[in-house]
Amino acid sequence: MIELLLIIFISFFLGLFYSFLIRKFSARLQWRIGPLIFMYKDLRSIMGITRIIQPLYDIIKLFGKRTIIPESSRKRLFIYSPYISLIFAFTSIFFIPFSSIPLLSNIPYSIVIVSYLLIGSLLFMIIGPIASGSPWAFIGVRREAELFLVAEFSFIISLFSMAISKNSLIIWEISTKEFNLINITAGLLMFTSILGKLHIKPFDMSEAEAEIVAGPYTEYSGKLLGIYYLTKIFLIYDFIALFISIFTPINTLPIYLSIPLFLIISIFIIFILSIIHVLNPRYRIKNALIWYIKIISILCLINIIAMVI
Amino acid sequence: MSLLKKSRIYSPWLYHLHCGGCNGCDIEILAALSPRFDVERFGIQLVTSPRHADILLITGPMTKQILPMAKRVYEQVPEPKVVVAIGSCACGGGIFYDQENYAIIGIPNSVIPIDVYVPGCPPKPEAIINGIIQGILKLSKKS
Ligand code: SF4
Repeated sequence: MIELLLIIFISFFLGLFYSFLIRKFSARLQWRIGPLIFMYKDLRSIMGITRIIQPLYDIIKLFGKRTIIPESSRKRLFIYSPYISLIFAFTSIFFIPFSSIPLLSNIPYSIVIVSYLLIGSLLFMIIGPIASGSPWAFIGVRREAELFLVAEFSFIISLFSMAISKNSLIIWEISTKEFNLINITAGLLMFTSILGKLHIKPFDMSEAEAEIVAGPYTEYSGKLLGIYYLTKIFLIYDFIALFISIFTPINTLPIYLSIPLFLIISIFIIFILSIIHVLNPRYRIKNALIWYIKIISILCLINIIAMVI
Repeated sequence: MSLLKKSRIYSPWLYHLHCGGCNGCDIEILAALSPRFDVERFGIQLVTSPRHADILLITGPMTKQILPMAKRVYEQVPEPKVVVAIGSCACGGGIFYDQENYAIIGIPNSVIPIDVYVPGCPPKPEAIINGIIQGILKLSKKS
């Protein structure tokens, strides 16, 4: 019971830390400084001591702003979608094991539950903007939906190939079975889907800043935008924790080893994601779909061969 | 200081609105946001929708043609908000100012309430950053 309460704070602060790291790493790779870890001494009285929780400041500020509901929107859908999306992303943290602590991941069919919850959260990230009635949001949402379909495909294939080869639908059981070739091939598939789902650079065409204003979130402001940012914080944690617990043998280790290892691996993944984010230009949606279909079909083939072996 | 007030100071988001200047000021705004000055270390970000913004940066002498759009963008920035006028044009017409000029309003303050003035033609990036910081301090005082 205590773990379940603790994981709320752990996931929230890890999610914040990861999104801070993505900003910091991308800034450093672009020869910038990025949010400061230690503020300059003479500015500390006005600017605070550290900016490690910069994403949290953004969210709190958004909560304190007025929320504008556009006339042309479908009001109920527009207002409630961010909350539903947040609930889905938030609930899934309980079903993903955190470094050797199973939480609720050892209940039957937990892998199905997690995939539904994550899909549901992303789906409401699409539905809310559709209800906003803005043409920019429509363009963004159309791209998002297309990307969602291909990224979802590799997500589901990778999860369920693990489930078939380890002969279980329980995340905890899958994650504690022995490590073999399928972990690597399915892990690669999952990694490609995470790129699309977290909108890492070649695949950020749905949010395409400046090109289509702010994409799906053009009409969102104040509290509702803050809720979407909060959802993203939980989603980052969800995907990283799911990736680490399913595809690495971390859950078989004792807890004093697995927690530091979890942190190291997750920071490494974030580092790789930031490098990809910085090095790539934005794809058009067509290129992204072709890329996904090419890569997924090759990886799937390798995956099937690995499963047979 | 309450957490909300702190967050307002720590994460100001800018929206840049061009109201008919010569583009000199806009280039300087971009220079102020470039890696050399890197305002992101203080949490300042350029956003692309006025609905996400806290600080509205306006440049140019406010031509009559852009007036309705400028008013609309101003209304779309949710409260609390601050407007920073960048460049002599936005402060009071600049070199375009002439009472008989048929095309410009000249004093943007008469249509949009401006909180901070940054004079210069164009102002240096340092001056723009200073203006933004004055704007942030005003923002934190608004309820
Ligand atoms: S103040 Fe000078 S540089 Fe700026 S828009 Fe006006 S004329 Fe151009």
